[in-house]
Amino acid sequence: MTVIEEARAPARAPVARGVDTKHRVLSAGGGFLLQLLPLGVMLGLWQLAAELELGRPLVVRSPGQVWTAFMDLHSSGVLWSNAWATLQATIVAMALASVIGIVIGLTLALAPRIERVVNPYLSAMNSAPRIAFAPVFIIIFGIGMSSKVALAFSVIIFVIILNARAGVHAADPDVVRLMEVLGANRRQTFTKLLFPVSVPSIFAGLRLALIYSLLGVVTSEMIAARDGLGQLVAQYAGNFQLDYVYAVILVLVVIGTALNSLAGVVERRLLWWKAP
Amino acid sequence: MEGAVMNRVPRGGGEGTGPGRHQSLALSLRDVRVDFPGSSADHPALDGVDVECRDGEFLVLVGRSGSGKTTILNVLSGLVTPDSGEVEILGGKPKAARDDLGFMFARDALMPWRSARRNVELGLEILGTPKAERRETAVRMLERVGLGHATGRLPAQLSQGMRQRVALARTWVRQPKLLLMDEPFSALDAQTRRESQQVFLDTWADSSASVVLVTHDLTEALLLADRLVLLSAGKVLREVTIPFERPRDLDELVTSDEFRRLERELWELLI
Repeated sequence: MTVIEEARAPARAPVARGVDTKHRVLSAGGGFLLQLLPLGVMLGLWQLAAELELGRPLVVRSPGQVWTAFMDLHSSGVLWSNAWATLQATIVAMALASVIGIVIGLTLALAPRIERVVNPYLSAMNSAPRIAFAPVFIIIFGIGMSSKVALAFSVIIFVIILNARAGVHAADPDVVRLMEVLGANRRQTFTKLLFPVSVPSIFAGLRLALIYSLLGVVTSEMIAARDGLGQLVAQYAGNFQLDYVYAVILVLVVIGTALNSLAGVVERRLLWWKAP
Repeated sequence: MEGAVMNRVPRGGGEGTGPGRHQSLALSLRDVRVDFPGSSADHPALDGVDVECRDGEFLVLVGRSGSGKTTILNVLSGLVTPDSGEVEILGGKPKAARDDLGFMFARDALMPWRSARRNVELGLEILGTPKAERRETAVRMLERVGLGHATGRLPAQLSQGMRQRVALARTWVRQPKLLLMDEPFSALDAQTRRESQQVFLDTWADSSASVVLVTHDLTEALLLADRLVLLSAGKVLREVTIPFERPRDLDELVTSDEFRRLERELWELLI
């Protein structure tokens, strides 16, 4: 009997599954330096290629030349006013598309009958290369901010709609049934279950959309615009000043990365309950 | 487990109960027939089933898959309307959302973004219970199921057994008069299952609820029930009144000779 008693000693499953230290290693100080390494190697190879005059010198500018171009753009003030124009359009498109897309996506998920009617059109429009509408928007809205916002909006709205809708559909059927048997009304089911359950998916959509929004704006600017980094790229490329083009692209990379990290911070705040 | 020795009046149809003490019924099914769409009329899901559960009784429906036990639960919760026969539950017609009806499923159905306490509060929120009151009630119930130390933890930070106990607390805070349970312990490993069953019996002892539990696990049925209904192919095969006294210490009970004898006897019936 005693043997059996012993064998019965409670063997609890491990608690605190949420704390996973492995994933944190990279974000620690040492990890950051390690992450800088590829950048150093890349810059080194680039400089080397320029010094050895590999490739056409017109295309392969050295990091030094790009830096000079950057400083020129910076000191003349051209860079920041245009960067601001691009950023502004990106954020406006993002804000509009977020509000409208989330509302439409959630509505569709909650109204299956409307969803069924609209679905084929949604997927058709989603698969259309919407960048191709850029000239149309420029004709409609002119070469100001509106046409940039319109193009970016058309690019990202579907991502947001589809993600919001998918989020609601991801609700655990058991929890849906639970809400039912607890006697929750439609409003309670939405606020306590369907909305919170869709937040992770909505956020995944917003993060994608943020980058695509920048992409849409820059594309529109490259085709026709009064200002913006895309316009700068088009202009310098036309003059074969690729060092300037690279400098602007680097600024775009920095802006894109910054937007993405910002979204990451907000996401971690909002989705604190997800395992880190 | 200290909770196991709580005093509790024997009730239900147990042999020790005086006649006439529990005459009112928590639910009854009379000559209930359910045909599944597409299935032939020769093999209905339920075929003339009579089942009743007295107030405060612990009734367990046992049978293998396809025996019709879950269909009975669905009839009781209003998800399935019988093709013929009469169903009464807590003095009315079956419907899913009633304040006095509780449910437990195989899966805990916890919301991952809510702490244990907030998950327990959920049922009270829907009833409109004031915040302070529901918080206090939830914490008290979590303490009762042995999770007083874990009220602030998220489901992802709890073990399977702990999660099922949170679900149990969520069910009890509504003080249901009747509890419908669909294989509530089947997703747990053997050890955790026994612990959870014990915690469940102990907390049930605090309540006056009737329970209808559906399981394919004969041992579980014998451990928990006042009365068993054995189902097979949509019919009631046999009803058995369980002679074991309450409160029950499950670890002790499961090894007793009497338990084993009864289990073997019924097992042969089921095969």
